[in-house]
This record gives sequence, structure tokens and C-alpha cells, in this order.
Amino acid sequence: MASLTPCLTQLSRMCISAGGGTMPHRISTQILGPALQIRYKSKDNKPKASRSELAMKAKKLVEKRKKRKPRTTFRQYDLSDGEQFALCDAIRYIRAFEVGRAPTSVKYEISLKLKTLKNGPVVRNRLRLPHPVKTDLRVCVIAPPDSKFAESARAAGAALVGEDEIFEAIRNGRIEFDRCICQTDSYAKLNKAQLGRILGPKGLMPSPKLGTVVKDPSLLVRDFIGGAEYRERLGVIRMAVGQLGFTPDQLARNIKTFMESVKKDMGLLSDKINKDITEVVLSSTNGPGFSLNGEFKNSKSDIQPKDLSTS
Amino acid sequence: MVSVVKRMRKLQAQLLFIRSGPGAAILPPEVARIHMDFALNTTKGHHGAKQFWRNHLIRLKYHNPAVPMTVNRTEDASGPALMTLHFSSPSGNTPNPSNPSESTEIPTTTQTIDMRNLESSAIFAQLTALTKARVLRTDLEDAKIGQDLEEQEARNNRVRELMQAAMARRKREKAILAQARGEVEALKNET
Repeated sequence: MASLTPCLTQLSRMCISAGGGTMPHRISTQILGPALQIRYKSKDNKPKASRSELAMKAKKLVEKRKKRKPRTTFRQYDLSDGEQFALCDAIRYIRAFEVGRAPTSVKYEISLKLKTLKNGPVVRNRLRLPHPVKTDLRVCVIAPPDSKFAESARAAGAALVGEDEIFEAIRNGRIEFDRCICQTDSYAKLNKAQLGRILGPKGLMPSPKLGTVVKDPSLLVRDFIGGAEYRERLGVIRMAVGQLGFTPDQLARNIKTFMESVKKDMGLLSDKINKDITEVVLSSTNGPGFSLNGEFKNSKSDIQPKDLSTS
Repeated sequence: MVSVVKRMRKLQAQLLFIRSGPGAAILPPEVARIHMDFALNTTKGHHGAKQFWRNHLIRLKYHNPAVPMTVNRTEDASGPALMTLHFSSPSGNTPNPSNPSESTEIPTTTQTIDMRNLESSAIFAQLTALTKARVLRTDLEDAKIGQDLEEQEARNNRVRELMQAAMARRKREKAILAQARGEVEALKNET
């Protein structure tokens, strides 16, 4: 993106006239207000405070500092300070920012800002989107190679199936997969192989806590291929929800599924924990982020969803 | 996430950049597709093409969301830098036979612009001449936003200078104090 300055100089050089297409989004500078705080010593016009008064002031300041507790929740912002966009308008801008890029490699992303505690449990799950974003995931299944589970996992599309040969390959640094699942009976063997130090930091170590140690891996393999994972980090859940080539309808379906899944997960947390989605931002690989207002199409703009479906 | 005000200010400038400026034009409905071919390396006359893509094509895409626009960048910088315009109905004076992939649907004619050694503005001028596109001027509202942003930037620069001066002064005073303390210590050690 070019910097602001050349854009402004171009504008000031240009002749000003009314007209042009309908442009639905203009953020008035009045709402935004000054973003900067100026702190410097003001000129002394006031009469000087006496020594005792100054001492009182200092005492009060110290007390105030003692009272201030560290923040326990993530900071929230007033959304009325900013503009929100309908999905189609955001897509129109994003498609313009991504012009000339490969429609399958550029992804749409969603960020959900949550109202949540800093130290509470986090939302974490995986789901299958109606229109998968990434389809070339390599899944590794740890199961005895001649068992019926191994056969069904291979049929479901697992890239690697086995036990000892996989352990050996991992020890030699050949990790040729993006996800790892373990069959329940092989879990003890996996633990004995002590691969946690290699797989753990990569997030590939199967564990019953994450639901990656299962009785029948083939079902999970099918879920993983075309599935996607998300987790909350610093009060925000981010996930890729579409490729640039998707139509607005496809993208809307994916976003809806994702949001429903996140809401369900938040409901499943314990009663004491209260989480809320406060903002939904759509962005893309190279584009800026657009805060969504939940509408599909802005009634004021003349943009049609089918215009946004071409490559 | 970053504060809303900060995010919006940046977004506002980016959206203004994409709405108005050189390249903002409405193409006539005959234009079916725009394709650009140029090299990744910009040294051998491919610079203008890249600039056109970065600055003009994104505005063109914003104002004509339905027209497919593709860019193919090759490794070979000594190769040609061509822009191919596909028209859905015959227009212009040198209609070439349409390319085979397109001809299955709508009969198209193509015209090419050699972008090699051309500046991006010259490429845009050729494009508007060939397609008879309607060039958009910056409208009043956008001009107002641009002006506001410019004023804000000037204000920011003034504040930045003030702060820099204040910080430099503070640093200087600290250095002087530290030096004086060091001298006192040295005197103490001597005695």
C-alpha cells in the first residue's frame, strides 16, 4: 500500500468536481477526533503552589498509584468511533486491494474480538466449513499398519499411516504432515517413544485433551481434511474463512458457520465464565481490516453480489 | 486488537487512496477482461507495468468490480510486457482473432498495449483511449476527507517535533546530572 503522503499530494493537485459513482463509505473525521495526546510543560501562568500543597498533591498521587489494580480483562474499545461495513462493500474493497493476485492463494480472514478475562479458559476447537479453505492438508495417523483402523484411515485420505516407521522418521527430523492423530491402542506406544519434545512445540503431539487420540481415526481424518482449527489468543479468535475466488454467498455461509460454532463453544464453557463477541473484522492476506455490521448488502450501495463473483 | 480510532484513521487513508486518484475510471460494458503480462524483475522496462498494477489497476478494479483483471508475472525480464484487453463485441480498428479459451462462451476481440518502457500514467492514457473509459475526478466529499487527513498529518508533524525537542532536552539534563554524580563519586574516592 502506498503511503498517505503521495496520495494526498495527488488529491490536492487534482481538479475538484462533483460526480462519480455511489460511494457508500466515508468515515467522517469529526467522529474520529484527535488521536494524539500532547504532553509538555505548559507556560507558568498560575501562581506557584506552596510547599505544603505540593506535598499533599504528591501524597495523593502515591495513594492513587497504589489503588490502581492491573487490568484483568482485555481492553474494549468504543465501536461508535469507527465505521462498520456490510459484507458486500467490504468484499468490493478487498477484491480491489487484491487485484491481480492468485484467487486460491489469497485468503479472507475473520477476527473475532471477545470480551473476556485475561487468565480464563480459552475458546479452542475445529470445524468443517461448508466451503473448505485449505484442502491439501497432510494427516498422519498413528495406528498399527495392518489393523482395520489403518485401512479405513488410508481410505479417508490420511497421508501417513503406521507406528514405528513414523516414530523413526520423526526422530530423524522428517515431519511430512500438518496434523497428527493417534489411535487409542497405540497411545501408550507413542508415549513410550518420547516424541513430545519434537512434536509438542509444533503442536502436533496427539493428546486426549485435544481430542486427537480416538478410537476410530478415519472419522477425524475426514474432519481434518477440509477442516480448520481456531483458538483464542489475547482475546481475539482469528481464522481463514475463504479464498479470494469465493462468491459473497459462499463467504457468508462460511462466516455464519464459524460464528455459530464459536458461540456454541462459548456456551459450553463453565457458567462462571462469560464471553461475548464484541467485534467482527474481515480482512485478507494483503488487504486492510473491515469491521462488519452484520448486514449482507448495504441498501444504499448499488453493488450486486454477482458482480463480486467474477475472478 | 489495535484501538478503533487508530485503525480507522489508517483505513480511511487507504480507502481514500483506492476510491480516487489516477486510475479511477468507469469502463464501458464491452470490456470483458483485462490481463497483464510482465516480469517480476522491473529493471528492463517493466517498472511502469508494476506501478500501473499497484496504483491504477486497484482503482480500476474498485470502480469496475465485475470486470475480471488478472496479472501474470514472469521470471524473464527480457520478455514482453503486454496488456491484453478483451472486448465482448467488436470495437476498435484492429480486431485480432479471439483466443481459444474465451471463444467458447462469448465471441471476444482482443487488443494489446505494449507496456515496455512506458510510465504508468502513459499506460493508463493508452487504456482510456482504447476502451473509451470515463475517467472519474475526485468528488467534493473525498477532497474534503483528503484535506482533513492532510491537516491531521501536519498537526501530527508539529507535535512530533515538539515531543522530540522535549525528549532531547530531558535526555541532555539526565546526561549532565549523571556526569555530575560521577564527578562527586570520584572526588569522594580520592579523599
